[in-house]
Amino acid sequence: MSDTDRAAARTVDVTVRAPGSPRPLLAGVSLELAPGERMLVLGPSGSGKSSLVNVLTGVIPFSQNLSVEGAVLLGGADVSELPVVERARRVGAVAQDPAAAVCLARVDDEMALPLENHGVDPSAISGRIDDALGLVGAGGLRERATSALSGGELQRVAMAAALAGLSEGGGIGLAGPTGSPADGGVAGARGTGALGGGGGGGGASAVLLLDEPTSMLDPAGVRAVRGAVARVAERGEVAVLLVEHRLDEFAGEAGARGLPEKALVLDGSGGVVACGPTVEVLAQNAQRLHDAGCWLPLETELLAITGRPGGLDSAEVGEWLRGWLRMRPVATAARSSPVDGPGEGDVEAPDVASVANHDDRDPLLSARSLVVGRPAPGARRSRGRRAPVDAVLAGVDLELPPGEVVALLGANGSGKTSLLLTLAGLLPAAGGAVAGARPSMVFQNPELQFLGHRVRDEIGIGVAGSRDEVAEIVDRQLAVHRLEHVADRDPYRLSGGEKRRLSLAAMLAHADRPVLLADEPAFGLDRRDTVATADVFRTEAARGRAVVFSSHDLRFVATVADRVIVLADGGIAADGPTVTVLRNADVLRRAGLELPPLVAWLLAETAPADPTTPARDVGDVDAVRVLRWLYATGAHPEATAPPLPTAAGTSLEEAAR
Amino acid sequence: MILNPAQVPDSPLARRNPTVKLAVLFLASVALLFVLDPVTPAVIYLAGFIGAAVGGRIPLRTLLAVQLPFFAFAAGVLTINVLSRPGTALWEEGPVRLTVEGLVVGAALAGRTLAIGILSVGFLLTTDSLALMTSLHQNARLGARPSYALMAGHRLLQQLPGEWAVIRAAQSVRAPLRRAGTVRQGTVRQGTVRRGPGAFGRAGFALLVQSIRRGERMAQSLESRGLGLTPRTVWRPVHVTSVDLAFGAVVLAGLATVIGVAGALGLLRGPGALF
Repeated sequence: MSDTDRAAARTVDVTVRAPGSPRPLLAGVSLELAPGERMLVLGPSGSGKSSLVNVLTGVIPFSQNLSVEGAVLLGGADVSELPVVERARRVGAVAQDPAAAVCLARVDDEMALPLENHGVDPSAISGRIDDALGLVGAGGLRERATSALSGGELQRVAMAAALAGLSEGGGIGLAGPTGSPADGGVAGARGTGALGGGGGGGGASAVLLLDEPTSMLDPAGVRAVRGAVARVAERGEVAVLLVEHRLDEFAGEAGARGLPEKALVLDGSGGVVACGPTVEVLAQNAQRLHDAGCWLPLETELLAITGRPGGLDSAEVGEWLRGWLRMRPVATAARSSPVDGPGEGDVEAPDVASVANHDDRDPLLSARSLVVGRPAPGARRSRGRRAPVDAVLAGVDLELPPGEVVALLGANGSGKTSLLLTLAGLLPAAGGAVAGARPSMVFQNPELQFLGHRVRDEIGIGVAGSRDEVAEIVDRQLAVHRLEHVADRDPYRLSGGEKRRLSLAAMLAHADRPVLLADEPAFGLDRRDTVATADVFRTEAARGRAVVFSSHDLRFVATVADRVIVLADGGIAADGPTVTVLRNADVLRRAGLELPPLVAWLLAETAPADPTTPARDVGDVDAVRVLRWLYATGAHPEATAPPLPTAAGTSLEEAAR
Repeated sequence: MILNPAQVPDSPLARRNPTVKLAVLFLASVALLFVLDPVTPAVIYLAGFIGAAVGGRIPLRTLLAVQLPFFAFAAGVLTINVLSRPGTALWEEGPVRLTVEGLVVGAALAGRTLAIGILSVGFLLTTDSLALMTSLHQNARLGARPSYALMAGHRLLQQLPGEWAVIRAAQSVRAPLRRAGTVRQGTVRQGTVRRGPGAFGRAGFALLVQSIRRGERMAQSLESRGLGLTPRTVWRPVHVTSVDLAFGAVVLAGLATVIGVAGALGLLRGPGALF
């Protein structure tokens, strides 16, 4: 058998076009995945990463009206003409939205479905369910109702269900001792059409497709998925194709070497830029990927910025970063820096004095002994009494002064979203009170908030003022949030990043809401949009707003937030200046948080020699400044917005003073 | 009730095979279509009521409450027949004329409505919808694709109220504020959200878009897990037990006895009663 025949998945010159659109979604993509091999797909948003996954599963062209040229081969057989369900023998797929990937009411039924579909002997099914769940670290979920699972748990169940099916379709030994010996033979005999030939003996192989599987997970969930991917590949029979944004977290301690061994880079027009061993591909394309706004493993990002390989372990890179740490944010100093100093696109440097002054201002929003909870299931609200609730958080006291960006941290299910909803007045407080002006809030799923049929109308909805005033505000928001090119499009037809920018632009158009709440604003965004979001938050705070956001991305948090509130064990575990809280290993452990290597390195470098040094030490500000420079380097600076007028005609900032 | 099924409580009726129950319900309903006297359906209604209350352990209050639509419909049928059917006058006053035939046929039709109603209610309240789909798939040879598509759809339905609430919240945040401040429970809120009449429509549209997307993704997910491949196996088969068969036989025999006795006593009338 030639190597080509044994490839688990192969595409030959695949081009995908939308009818009537001159620009292809994928342009001549050829790739080859051997059994047991892992491949990472990289590219800026809109580069066709999801299209590639859909071409392999058959969703394109069989469920989506797109034309495909070229050939798709699975296990050596041409499956270009086979529909999704026939390809299921060779392909397992985990979609982006885990809530839509899980279809049945109970986890074990969900897991049994693919096994039943593939005709697994009923006596072996129970054992296989346990194996597949164990592989993704979800063994304890077997008896649970799927409606009660968190996003991270759902994602693991979806992945386990995709794996469970593969173990039969590809004939791999996932079942271990419980698998009946007849299964392999049956699988071979049963295969129909083009897939029958390779079904039997050692040539059997399958491919697992993962489209951003960790986007909704906390660090523990990311670790579980990473471990599962490694274990699946180790078996040597299933190839894994992974689309992933959060490369740094996915790679873990090992850096680029912790990523899948092969990488495919797509450019903005769906063409292949590079394909080969991940370490090499990243090294050769560091600058290009960085400029395109892709997230990169830290090592590669630092290579793109400093031109020096080796990441934080390298003495050269370390020295270079220390040089930045020593550099003071005086514009002339930055410009006169010899070679690689920060460029023009700096995010504004943190200002110690202004941070300290905030404490003296009146808060825009405050909460007193707040109890946050959702109505207990099945509970009816009776007149005059509060509905019984399952309290998620209790005894929450917090104040939000103007000019501050506050991050909410905590593990999945710790109550971040519920707290934001309560602060926004959308979820009634189960106890205590919230006082202040009604805040605005952007939801994790921007589509839920869309009200207009055009982007332009969408921003103007609910904005007070005359027709001309509203038009002026809309135009300004379109420009600031890079939405001018889609101003007349339907909001539902935008890309993921554009939808996020639109929901933020529309919310911020309301000048009468001084507090902005955001639920996971950086989730699923590429580097360019993440940097843009960071910029918007800093700008809005500088204009006198208070910004509160929840996030799992501690680098984003450390870069943007002035202050961090950590939720754990049903209450606030810590509330203080970002760097001070992030230095508290005990709090991080309680909340299940892990510092990304870059943040950990910078904090260690700037750690005060004397641990009793008061907070907001100058060294901490240096660390944050370097983080902001790193974000700004290679990013595309946004136009800054003029001061925000309040109803009285004064800017919020002035009003706050 | 159907959107958010609290687990169906255990009872002798709930333990019966759903397909057998559905078949019994179907046969009984068909048989009742040919019965057009007031007494036979009344006896069957009574038997059905006792069966649902005792065999299904359904609380009386619930049982009566869920029958309200049937009561209303039965009352309508009775009224229309009594007032409009020609025949021997029972009572006459101006344009209003009540007839014996109208009363008899109306009562028969109303009784049939109630009898089929109580049997359906007894079935719905003791049958888990997912168990029904599983059983229909396995015992009644309903194809795997429609069965699982319906079960996935059921999950989609369950999520609807939650999604509706999220969409309403997400959109109400964007509505313009009222000028007046409100003070309540020590909470100072500068302005409350005004809800326009169009908001419902927009939220409905968002929900529709959301549901169609999710349905599409679910369909893809089911397909990519091989739903529709043959042959397929069944992990936890649902069996029709001898108790299920006995249950079906007893109920149908009871029905036949009631109709038979009614016939012997000369009470039974068929569709001929209409003419």
